[in-house]
Amino acid sequence: MTDLMGIMVVTLMIWVGLFAYIYRLDRKVGRLED
Amino acid sequence: MRVADILKWLLLGWLAVVIVAAFFYVRPAEGFIGESSRIVFFHVPMAWIAVLAFLVSCITSVMYLKRREPKDDIRASVSAGLGLLFAVLATTTGSVFARIMWNSWWNWDPRQTSIAILLLIYAAYLALRGAIDDPERRASLSAVYAILAFVTVPFLVFVVPRIYWSLHPDTIINTRGSNEFDLRYTQVLMASLVGFTGLYIWLYTIGCRIEAIRQRRRQEVL
Repeated sequence: MTDLMGIMVVTLMIWVGLFAYIYRLDRKVGRLED
Repeated sequence: MRVADILKWLLLGWLAVVIVAAFFYVRPAEGFIGESSRIVFFHVPMAWIAVLAFLVSCITSVMYLKRREPKDDIRASVSAGLGLLFAVLATTTGSVFARIMWNSWWNWDPRQTSIAILLLIYAAYLALRGAIDDPERRASLSAVYAILAFVTVPFLVFVVPRIYWSLHPDTIINTRGSNEFDLRYTQVLMASLVGFTGLYIWLYTIGCRIEAIRQRRRQEVL
């Protein structure tokens, strides 16, 4: 795996992890609003 | 599935494609060391979101002073917080670029200095909010502060770095009024700007909802 590919994979993992965190937070806030 | 949910999943895919394109659709720009030019696809949208968030904070502060609605105060504080977060991220990515290009994380370049001042101004906004207990007084004072703080943004972001000689690469909005990016760079950058704007809107909405719940609970306790 080249360095560029490695950095891209790490960046993608950060984004997917961040998305999952925000998505869960969004749902939790939705439950608290009900 | 609701439209909002579809948009969230679309955002996941959109920014994932932007990330892949940033690394493999464009070639490294000439005149930059190694692959450092690719940072533009993340650094510029972060800086753009910071300015947008500070603008929203200013507009909602004006609305608060006009209507005295607590939700406008919530909107202003959430947006200022997000603006500060994205400004920190823009500064960090800029610093990584500086390390690669100029072998120094920080060298008091006009653009670095102006963003440092901007960070202090908005950190002071959050400190001000934290220092006042009375909600109405806090909302009024911080609304006035947010408006005054935004007056400095055009000077610190657009004017000061263009007056003094800077190491910073020419920006998209340059003094010649021309876009000197090649087509592929422009495409990926625009896609990234759209994606980051979507992310900001989502975070802003969640932040406002959390603050509204907090306020409601505080009132229930009282």
